[in-house]
Amino acid sequence: MTAMIETNGLVKDYKDTTALAGIDLSIEPGRVYGLIGPNGAGKTTLIGVLSGLRTPTSGTMHLDSDYFAVLPDSPAFDPWLTAYEVVDLARNLAPTDVPESAVDEVLEQAGLAEAAHRKVSGFSRGMFQRLGIAATVVGEPDLVLLDEPAAALDPAGRREVLDLVADMRGRATVLFSSHILDDVQEVVDEIGILRKGQLVYDGSLEGLISQQSPRTRYVVEVRGDADGVAESLRAEPWVVTASASDSAITLEADSAESVEERLVRVLADYGQPVVSMQPNVRSLEDIFLEVTT
Amino acid sequence: MNLWSLEWIRLTRTGRILILLAVFFSFGIIGPLSVRYLPELLDAAGSGEAISQLPPVTPEFAMAAYLGNALQIGLLAIAFVGAAALAIDAKPEISVFFRSRSSIRDIIAPRFVVVAAATVVAFAAGVTTAAVTSGILIDWPEPGPTILGSALVAVYLVFVVALITLMGSLVRKVPATALLTVGTLIALSIIGLYAPLAPWLPSYLVGGFDVIISGGDFVYWRAIALTAAAIVACLAIVVVRLDSREV
Repeated sequence: MTAMIETNGLVKDYKDTTALAGIDLSIEPGRVYGLIGPNGAGKTTLIGVLSGLRTPTSGTMHLDSDYFAVLPDSPAFDPWLTAYEVVDLARNLAPTDVPESAVDEVLEQAGLAEAAHRKVSGFSRGMFQRLGIAATVVGEPDLVLLDEPAAALDPAGRREVLDLVADMRGRATVLFSSHILDDVQEVVDEIGILRKGQLVYDGSLEGLISQQSPRTRYVVEVRGDADGVAESLRAEPWVVTASASDSAITLEADSAESVEERLVRVLADYGQPVVSMQPNVRSLEDIFLEVTT
Repeated sequence: MNLWSLEWIRLTRTGRILILLAVFFSFGIIGPLSVRYLPELLDAAGSGEAISQLPPVTPEFAMAAYLGNALQIGLLAIAFVGAAALAIDAKPEISVFFRSRSSIRDIIAPRFVVVAAATVVAFAAGVTTAAVTSGILIDWPEPGPTILGSALVAVYLVFVVALITLMGSLVRKVPATALLTVGTLIALSIIGLYAPLAPWLPSYLVGGFDVIISGGDFVYWRAIALTAAAIVACLAIVVVRLDSREV
């Protein structure tokens, strides 16, 4: 399958700063791709380069798109236009024939039906954001590039935006940047982590969590003497570390097989009631902080 | 809504078309009015000697007074009204909306044409007002030379709008675009003081207004040709510049 977005060694320099340091990216059609990274990591620059609004210093890229739409992080429109006119203009600028009824539909989906005929000069930042999304999706692009689309929204607005993004899955390829990890976790098929212009991870969310959460780390919760259990675990040759905190024992073994084969037996021998036992899966936030710092 | 209707809405909803019309319309009245009543005004002010140095009160002088007054303030108004539409990257977030959906040619064409048309219409409205005011207060100017002279100025005004478009591709902000345009026009006027170059310059067309309505010869083909070439060159440079300029 031909990738919708394919970049090879994409570099973007600004005078003394390298914003993108050789990005190799491949996103298949119909996928929702989340681009995360701290401020200044290069997310906006990458979206700018992909949309043709910025020129790469070197490297190649190919978009297999008939029509793509891009939404900047702080969308703005001429203040003397109404919301309806903005979306209608976007509809008319799309290369395909889109019926006028689509304008009302996307405004409704974006939660702006009641404000459709108001001038946008009085809109809040959140309303601008939702209007931007309505203008982005009205032309039915096959590629959508969204820069922090939910950043300025309240929880209800974020919910609507995430639903809109999720609705596009399969109909369009979506690349959206965000620093709100919950948003990313909720809607993406794949994830890319940018750090100082470099793509330090590119793959599935599950793969990232699995990669950063080796199955040699376990958390065991017991009822009673957690310190004693930890001490007996430390005596085992296959246990690297074991420490107790309240009723939980965190242990790291020399291999996943050692844990799977021996942990239950050790716990049974010690005779302490076991409440739970599970691999120590790290949160996306922990992984994000570790990978990006 | 399309890019052409957008430009019309831009002019009307922002009141910018009214600014242009108001400037040229008001000078269309003030020009002939001042010519007609200047002797009385000077006399009342006790400047009797100056009256003898005034040109005769004729419709030609009334029309020349209109143009002289209107173009000073008018060019400033055109520069700012034009820059507000033609500095397309003044607000990057708005620029992204257009640039990610249309080519530079498609974005610039309606803006240039609508601003140029509004400018010419405002100027023509001023000429008509000046002719009517002159007709009421002094006498009617000759229609043929008035139209021909106005056409020369109209070509110059289209050049001014092309110049604004060019400046909008060199700088980003509206005030910078407008002021750079005015500065360039002043520079061209200074260059026009060098007699061998003057007949080639766009500003020569403005002088043609007075000459033509006073019955002078039509010697403006060189300036028209060079102005037309300059308009095309400005727009071509704009497309190349903006195509390569990052948002």
